Amino acid sequence: MSTAERTQAVVAPVVRHGCRDAAAVVLAYVPFGVTLGATLARTGVNPLTAWASSPLMFGGAAQLLSVQLLDAGANAIVVILGALVVNARMLLYSASLAPHAGDWPARWRWAGAYLLADPVYAVAVARFSRPDRGGDGRVRLTYYLAVGLTFWVGWMGLTGAGALLAGVLPASLSLELAAPLTFLLLLLPMLADRAAYAAAAVGGGVAVLASGLPLGLGLLLGAAAGVTAGGLIGARHA
Amino acid sequence: MRELLILAAIGVGTYAMRAVFLVRASTDPPARLARLLPHVGPAVLAAITLPALLAPHGEMSWAGTVPSVLAALAAWALWRRTAKLPIALFGGLGVWWVGTWVTTML
Repeated sequence: MSTAERTQAVVAPVVRHGCRDAAAVVLAYVPFGVTLGATLARTGVNPLTAWASSPLMFGGAAQLLSVQLLDAGANAIVVILGALVVNARMLLYSASLAPHAGDWPARWRWAGAYLLADPVYAVAVARFSRPDRGGDGRVRLTYYLAVGLTFWVGWMGLTGAGALLAGVLPASLSLELAAPLTFLLLLLPMLADRAAYAAAAVGGGVAVLASGLPLGLGLLLGAAAGVTAGGLIGARHA
Repeated sequence: MRELLILAAIGVGTYAMRAVFLVRASTDPPARLARLLPHVGPAVLAAITLPALLAPHGEMSWAGTVPSVLAALAAWALWRRTAKLPIALFGGLGVWWVGTWVTTML
């Protein structure tokens, strides 16, 4: 077998695995993605501009906030700062993925950063946290890119379909539950041990108590508390 | 055009936040920090999910909270049973629709 064939034999099943894992997530994102696309298209913002937030931001919560604020005529600085605070969790994802990406070529880390959306992070880290670390560096990179690109295509398609169907879909199909249920399903596979339960319980609890804070700061406060709680419990049971 | 530029600025900022630690991944973080990083996922996702599930209309109410908590429990049970995300999601949404319908009837 030549080197190219050997590479092929190792990489092809990983690509298939990544695509399959991401396809299940895309399917679970159908209600959220389509209603989000429709909600963006129903604002006063040009529908194509509103949809362009999908490739530009690749993250539903910031897309919704920024387009709705633009629609309400908010000041540019307010829109940009508001959306960046909502996306500040990406800093945590970046730091948390980094230990699994140390042996990836630098150019692929620069490229992969663009794909680091919530579900891509959740699916990839679930695999990388296994005792075998999800394989060697190349296998991990291949899996990450397969998941990221599959979900990227899915997200562009779902939000695009929502925009096209905005006139047909009943307005009562609301985002209210599709979004949190989808995120709950990203969370459940991560609850693998006591420390993860502690991080989730404290993170969720503090976020509920702090949900009155402006700018989604409750989320960041909850995240900080949850990460700390996970670290404390993890250290005790290590 | 102004709107597209604002969205692009958010995109650039978001990319920067996604890249900042990832591109420096070859340098190991301090050990104290490294111990916290595995808990980012559950903490962040729960902090997004729990407030939205308990107060789907922005505040807690009988007609809003009860169906959404039931839907979350149904999704959890279905996921544990089948390990299939789509089944858990659509099952949860189904419970939510039924629960919302029942609470508005009462």
